[in-house]
Amino acid sequence: MPDRAQSSSVLPRCPVPLGPLNSSLGDANLLQWVSSGTFGDSLRLDRFKLSNGLTILTCEDHSSPVVSYHTWLRVGSRHERETKTGIAHLLEHLMFNETEKLPQGAYDQMLEEAGAETNASTWLDFTQYSVNAPKQALKLVVTLEAERLSSLVLREPQVVSEKDVVANERRYRVDDDVEGAMNELLWSMAFTRHAYRCPTIGWMKDILDLSPEDCEQFYKTYYAPNNATVVVVGDFRTASLLKLIAASYGPLKSSTMPVEDARPEPAQTSERRAELTKPTPTEKVTIGYHAPALGDFDYAPISVLAEVLCGGRASRLVQRLVHDLEIATDVRASVGPFHDPGLFEIGASARDKRSGEALLEQIDAELQRVCNEPVEDEELERALARLELGLISGLDTVDGKASTIGFYETILYEPSAAFARLNAMRRVNQSDIMRAARRYLRPETRTCVFVRCESPAAEELAQ
Amino acid sequence: MSPHFPQPLAIGKIPVLVESSKAIPLVHMSVATRRGAAADPPGGEGLTRLTARLMRRTAGGMPLTEIERHLDRLGISLGADISYSNVSMAAVVLKRSSEQCVSMLADALGKPGLSDEEFSRLKRETLAEIVDGQDNDRGLASRALRRSLFANHPYGRSVGGTLSTIKSLQPEQARSLYKTLVRRDDLLIGISGDIEESEALKLAERLVESVAPSTTGADDTQEPTPSEGRKLMFVNKPDRSQTQIYVGLQGSHPKDEDHLDLHVANTVFGGMFSSRLMQQVRVKRGWSYGAYSSLPLDRHRQAFTIWTFPKSEDAAACLKLELEMLDELVTKGVTEKELRSAKNMLTRSYAFLVDTAAKRLGLCMDEIMYDLPSGYYASYPKRISATKLEDVNAALKRRLNPANLVVAVVGTNDRVLEAVQQVMPDAQTEIIPFDTEDL
Repeated sequence: MPDRAQSSSVLPRCPVPLGPLNSSLGDANLLQWVSSGTFGDSLRLDRFKLSNGLTILTCEDHSSPVVSYHTWLRVGSRHERETKTGIAHLLEHLMFNETEKLPQGAYDQMLEEAGAETNASTWLDFTQYSVNAPKQALKLVVTLEAERLSSLVLREPQVVSEKDVVANERRYRVDDDVEGAMNELLWSMAFTRHAYRCPTIGWMKDILDLSPEDCEQFYKTYYAPNNATVVVVGDFRTASLLKLIAASYGPLKSSTMPVEDARPEPAQTSERRAELTKPTPTEKVTIGYHAPALGDFDYAPISVLAEVLCGGRASRLVQRLVHDLEIATDVRASVGPFHDPGLFEIGASARDKRSGEALLEQIDAELQRVCNEPVEDEELERALARLELGLISGLDTVDGKASTIGFYETILYEPSAAFARLNAMRRVNQSDIMRAARRYLRPETRTCVFVRCESPAAEELAQ
Repeated sequence: MSPHFPQPLAIGKIPVLVESSKAIPLVHMSVATRRGAAADPPGGEGLTRLTARLMRRTAGGMPLTEIERHLDRLGISLGADISYSNVSMAAVVLKRSSEQCVSMLADALGKPGLSDEEFSRLKRETLAEIVDGQDNDRGLASRALRRSLFANHPYGRSVGGTLSTIKSLQPEQARSLYKTLVRRDDLLIGISGDIEESEALKLAERLVESVAPSTTGADDTQEPTPSEGRKLMFVNKPDRSQTQIYVGLQGSHPKDEDHLDLHVANTVFGGMFSSRLMQQVRVKRGWSYGAYSSLPLDRHRQAFTIWTFPKSEDAAACLKLELEMLDELVTKGVTEKELRSAKNMLTRSYAFLVDTAAKRLGLCMDEIMYDLPSGYYASYPKRISATKLEDVNAALKRRLNPANLVVAVVGTNDRVLEAVQQVMPDAQTEIIPFDTEDL
């Protein structure tokens, strides 16, 4: 897809002379400046592109002698095939293993000795790698990140061992976790055709069946410079950084991305319900309504609505279920930030012996109210202040900034979209909220998962 | 270049730390006291936390809902953080609302309503939260470990209390505790972020004036004594495909001369991805998603712990390996190469301990709160660099005794217990139902 730099805040000059840089690297067209803009009130964000398609977003921030180096790939669990679920996430784990130049374990050792911290995540739409390092380690980081993007070695023992690790991660996050199990069931029922129905971590059987060849094929298909964005935030000079990146990534070959076998989700026309039984002391319920994609105009009003309903103790659902009626320990709402339409989720945990149905009845009453009556100005004001605080708090570190830039670039092709989104939310009014509530919070389009309490066998516990 | 640390200022005798930074339009404020949950009365664990939360929820005598609306409207996140050694009211606020934030903090510290009605509501809510906490297997394992490792010491209690202790608490106890919990001469104030020093000092003065001018007694918490022998705390929970395993020994305190030596050894053993535990448990065998050891700070000696979470079938083998590795660590020590890697990692990653104003402020507040030597964190990289192999290995032998440890396991009895007991044949075993009122 074409780059779409923000037009509202363009700084129309390349910040560094690229001619001499390209000449020194032997290719006059190797590195191109695409656009410049701002990130927040005080930082400059520049976009460059290598001739092999790699996008580079740079944001100098000299407030501390550290850098955050992110690699974002437009591949997530949505790109997986049936029976191969979990492969995007397994590959993310395997990316910390051997490369053609580095033996097993060397990647972590070298970076940790340099004072760097590494991490990675995979979700429905993306895979992301981060290295936060002292500025002195930037050259090492660039070299190692380019190396593993192009020269990963996948051998049987490492793949077998890593599959066990991922299976254990699944037990931790899903099988033995009440909320994780609920969430997985909710999405698998709410979506019947779209790839969002499969969990990013993968079904257990699929994880255990994945082979080194599967991983190799996935890696060769999606791990290419033209499917990646490098985001660098921190204490560096753009010219020096670009020279390092061009030298390390310039020789990498681009590849042809497969056309995604996208299957839009058909409209849901009747409510779906399911139950789980777990060794938990209280009943729970989670509800998913089909919701707009992150780039949709309605994403702003539905996000503000989530905040009006569950943002803080004074919000409507928390006030009613937790404070007034005391039937829930907590209640939360969120709308998934996805490329395609996701879910508006509401979850609650019952108090004492209350049932999930009792929670749902009260939730329904409040949802009916936002469909029938305008929310108050003061509720909007509170929701916006909370959202603003949340956004700014997330930008305290270089890693927070790089994450925000990389995420919005990968999903919306707009690295500064966090601020545009906040502005869009500031424009939301009562009519927008009511329209969004009526459009999306319809019982026939929802899926409900209830968790029942499994009574532990008294005899067993007494042993 | 050395990072800038705030130098303690003072209002009267009260230390005030200010760290200005224009990086983002936020201000962090924290007011801390030197009394924490370790001072909960026996049988009344959870009282300090409940009292601090009650102050937050009855600030200025206002109804809770009104307080929440006010905070949200202004873009203020205000919380009460309670640890064993201190209580702090901490706020993160949009710069434009700094003044109002101080008013709310002052109301919470100096004029809380502490009403019977809100006490009862909070008590009911706390009980419900503890019940919900039974879903958290890691939390269950951690509490079971502490209960045995620090038996008869406040560090063995739960900061949040248990079902049985919270049920016994009365509003008068909270009002009585408040009188000794927040006293003027016992405060520590920290302000960081997008605010000038002069402005921050004015705000700090308002906070000081809001609190009654008397002092509290000194922290009379005794140093914990190491547990004797080996113990197995088995928390039985049905239907677990996985276990949560904690191994705990008594750790150390920065006042111990060999604390940094032990800190470096911990880094080699389980403090980074290339550490021994992670390599042997996760990378080589795939037994657990994570394998870590830690050596946390407090005013007194805390625990040295190892945490893994293998599937039920691997639990015994994983625990056996961990105990063998611990034995080997203590008897053979770390190698020169491992020491060099750990020192490099710790000194170079120091940049991320101090990369934001809020973090720098937090470290300086810790120095005061935990009675660390002045400049403890400023000199940290230099002191890490100076650690020597023989001292590190001597510290391991001196501080960690694998003969005296506690293992806490959350799992399903008939899938795991027998195999785990075989790994620790001499250990005293205690089996605890996961939904007991006393955990």
